[in-house]
Amino acid sequence: MRKPWQPQQPRDWWLHNPAYRRYMLREATALPLMLYTLLLLAGIFQFSRGEVAFAAWLSWMQTPAALLLQGIALAAALLHAVTWVALVPKILVIDSDRLRIDPRQVLRAHQLGALAGNLGLVVATLWLLWPAGGA
Amino acid sequence: MNQQQADIVIVGGGGAGLRAAIAAAESNPGLDILLLSKVYPMRSHTVAAEGGCAGVIQPHDSLDAHFDDTVAGGDWLCDQDVVDYFVRHATEENLRLEHWGCPWSRKPDGSINVRAFGGMQIERTWFAADKTGFHILHTLFQTSLKYPAIRRCDEYFCTDLLVEDGHCAGLLAIDMRSGEQTLIAASAVILATGGAARVYRYNTNGGIVTGDGMALAYRQGVPLRDMEFVQYHPTGLPGSGILITEAARGEGGVLTTCDGYRYLQDYGLGPETPLGKPQNKQMELGPRDRLSQAFWHEEQAGRTVATERGAAVYLDLRHLGEQRIQERLPFIRDLARTYVNVDAVHEPIPVRPTAHYTMGGIQTDRHTATCLPGLYAVGECASVGLHGANRLGSNSLAELGVFGRLAGEQAAERAAQGLAVDPQRLRPQAEAQAAGREALRTANGPERLAALRDEMACAMEAGIGIFRVPAQMSATIEKIAELKARYQQLGLKDGSRAFNTEWLQAIELGFLLDVAEAMSHAALARQESRGSHQRPEDFPARNDALFLKHSLARQQPGGAAEVSWQDVVITRSAPGERHYGGTTVQGANR
Amino acid sequence: MGTIELVATRYRPEQDVQPWEQRYTVPCSEDMSLLDALNYIKDELDPSLSHRWSCRMAICGSCGVMVNGEPKLSCKTFLRDYREAGVVQVRALDNLPVERDLVADISGVVEHIEAVKPWLIRHSTAPVDTAHTQTPEQMARYHAFSQCINCALCYAACPQFGRNPAFLGPAALTLAQRYNLDSRDEGSSERMPWLNAEEGVWSCTFVGYCSEVCPKDVDPASAINRGKVASDINYGVNLFRLLRGKSDA
Repeated sequence: MRKPWQPQQPRDWWLHNPAYRRYMLREATALPLMLYTLLLLAGIFQFSRGEVAFAAWLSWMQTPAALLLQGIALAAALLHAVTWVALVPKILVIDSDRLRIDPRQVLRAHQLGALAGNLGLVVATLWLLWPAGGA
Repeated sequence: MNQQQADIVIVGGGGAGLRAAIAAAESNPGLDILLLSKVYPMRSHTVAAEGGCAGVIQPHDSLDAHFDDTVAGGDWLCDQDVVDYFVRHATEENLRLEHWGCPWSRKPDGSINVRAFGGMQIERTWFAADKTGFHILHTLFQTSLKYPAIRRCDEYFCTDLLVEDGHCAGLLAIDMRSGEQTLIAASAVILATGGAARVYRYNTNGGIVTGDGMALAYRQGVPLRDMEFVQYHPTGLPGSGILITEAARGEGGVLTTCDGYRYLQDYGLGPETPLGKPQNKQMELGPRDRLSQAFWHEEQAGRTVATERGAAVYLDLRHLGEQRIQERLPFIRDLARTYVNVDAVHEPIPVRPTAHYTMGGIQTDRHTATCLPGLYAVGECASVGLHGANRLGSNSLAELGVFGRLAGEQAAERAAQGLAVDPQRLRPQAEAQAAGREALRTANGPERLAALRDEMACAMEAGIGIFRVPAQMSATIEKIAELKARYQQLGLKDGSRAFNTEWLQAIELGFLLDVAEAMSHAALARQESRGSHQRPEDFPARNDALFLKHSLARQQPGGAAEVSWQDVVITRSAPGERHYGGTTVQGANR
Repeated sequence: MGTIELVATRYRPEQDVQPWEQRYTVPCSEDMSLLDALNYIKDELDPSLSHRWSCRMAICGSCGVMVNGEPKLSCKTFLRDYREAGVVQVRALDNLPVERDLVADISGVVEHIEAVKPWLIRHSTAPVDTAHTQTPEQMARYHAFSQCINCALCYAACPQFGRNPAFLGPAALTLAQRYNLDSRDEGSSERMPWLNAEEGVWSCTFVGYCSEVCPKDVDPASAINRGKVASDINYGVNLFRLLRGKSDA
């Protein structure tokens, strides 16, 4: 007689294998990013309440705990970007009779795009803040 | 006991079985076609075929040339009407596979590419890199899924044929997952169970290639034909016997002794061809029987390479370069790396002959019907008369398509006549046979399964190998008889039903012993040397006067096999000399 | 020569309520595969251990098992690589019902493969006596996806399949892509419903482990995620057609 054993996926399945742990870490990068987004939203809310409230928020953002949080969020964002870009050539395959692009070029283009985007953001921020900081 | 009914039951889900199922479904979509196999179809051993599948396609090639190569390759023991039919239909079957999605390798312009193969005077071997069997099998399996008329019993193990009023009326099978026995009644049964090279110790075959269909038919009085002809493939990996395709030589690979000497030039296959410029039917592209025999002589002379896995020669592919090896022989490179730790790009691969293919099998007429009405056989388990005394590489994959289709159509025609027997009438004999299987499951004698299997495999290697000497053949025959007696005293340890593979292996061993018996008796009876059957001591030459005949081994109740003879069908190619090497002259054709 | 400890997870449906572990000592030579070890156990130590195998050369796809937690073909796994670990833990493939011992029930996987119409679909019929033209470049677009041996290692590797066995899974979705990308095929619109379905490509969260364990370098993760792009495009095209008052593409 047949009596197959039905295995149940354990709740901690993702702890059992390095590949799963890497995957969960990649997925978990969303959490610090969400937290950072909430902080920014809080900043906008405080800004709408007036200068004093916003200054208090700004100074809280410079406490060691908040800086640590922002550091984690930055690391998570970078990890997410790196792993995401690395997967692109598996997803975006441009190969038809009319147009073929080497997957390495697709990867390179995305790496450059990500780099340019981030550098652009830094430059734009510095450019916006410079007169205020310098004045 | 469970009970089922179908119009056609096909035993075996390899290339031949799947092609037969599709043909039956196409010729009569109203039929209930049951494809029964002891493994999921894509596990069948067709999957391991590597090099290619023959079919005339080049403008300067001809059906006559394919015919001549096949008949000469088979040392004139082929039925020429069958070869004629085969060469006329091989290409259309390859095209049909193309239309079903088979990824045949292409030329840069997108047309079909073909490669050189042993014993073929013109390139006509279609290939899908070096996984041709894999792609053919998966293409056929996937295509079979679109026919609602085909249903499957996967992991059902056929144990017995059921015969009523002189007709094959169904079969008995074990549902491996539950261990329950099932009676399946059918108007027509097609055996497509593959070969039997597992009777040998060193072979290229998967563990499932145990001659099941041959033994099933043999036990019902159907003769096994030409069983003495067993092909040793010249290039298997030492130790495991894993197949290294002939396509490696077709692409330009060369065989050398330990000091790099291309020894085949000493065996009538020369002159030596330039490196990387293989010539059809010369040197490494000679037929398999000649190449395996040459190895045997080299080993006797002590010129082979001693490896930790036994004597070997070198298959050297290095001059092909990494790009060509990767494009044409990627699987070979992978196999050599994995199983003998050799990268074919940088080192030669050690190889040796290993048992590969049974030219003989269940005797059928040229339409795949056996002498038992309602029973058909096709593929390696059958002897339709195509391969004679030595099969040319790439003819067997083509055989699956050509004769698989024919078998399916023949069975469909029979099934449409409504010759089904009421399953209730089959019940008594099915129950008697099932009781025997049950007794085996719980057998508690003193004999060990693995020991009997290994003794059989070693005895076959010693007596019915590349060269056969009378004393050893007789010893093997005695040994097989002894093993058959000891088989009755088997003891099995696992008494359970569900997926009891010990039980199934014991049944397989019973099949193997019957096949080994037929092989060894046929080998002793054929007092000549022809193709893969070589008796250098007592009968070193071919003897057309007495043995231009097929051997027929019939099982005798309680005794050994009885061998009789059947005329070979000769239509237009009178027996001539087999010429290979540079001085090629065709035999006395036409 | 030496020996190595092999711990097999046993489950005999007629006797056992749940799986249990049995320890064997097997010889360990340089070129001995795990399959050789399992056959040694079957022949010499314990004939009641059940496992599947056939070709011994990693092409038939029968012998997939979990080895120290990783899905592998036992014929392509060598004991020498476990000498340091000192022990080889073997059990049936994860995420599948266990029929017995090391034998997993793969019928569900095969049903998924059958579901996606994995055959060449043509609406225009080609003449019988010629082949379609397909250049090596056109073949290269689907060739890797046609290398799947249906061994089901990718299903054992996929936590989404473990969570939801209705997910069509890596091999089936790859096979759908294999035909969709074949220049001879005209059936991608018939396969789109399977890709678009909840159990289709969108159940995949790109864990990517399926591609790591694949013994044939098929890269199912890539196939599925390219299927997501195709599914997106299909959605956009359908939306556009609906807005213009036409039926689905």
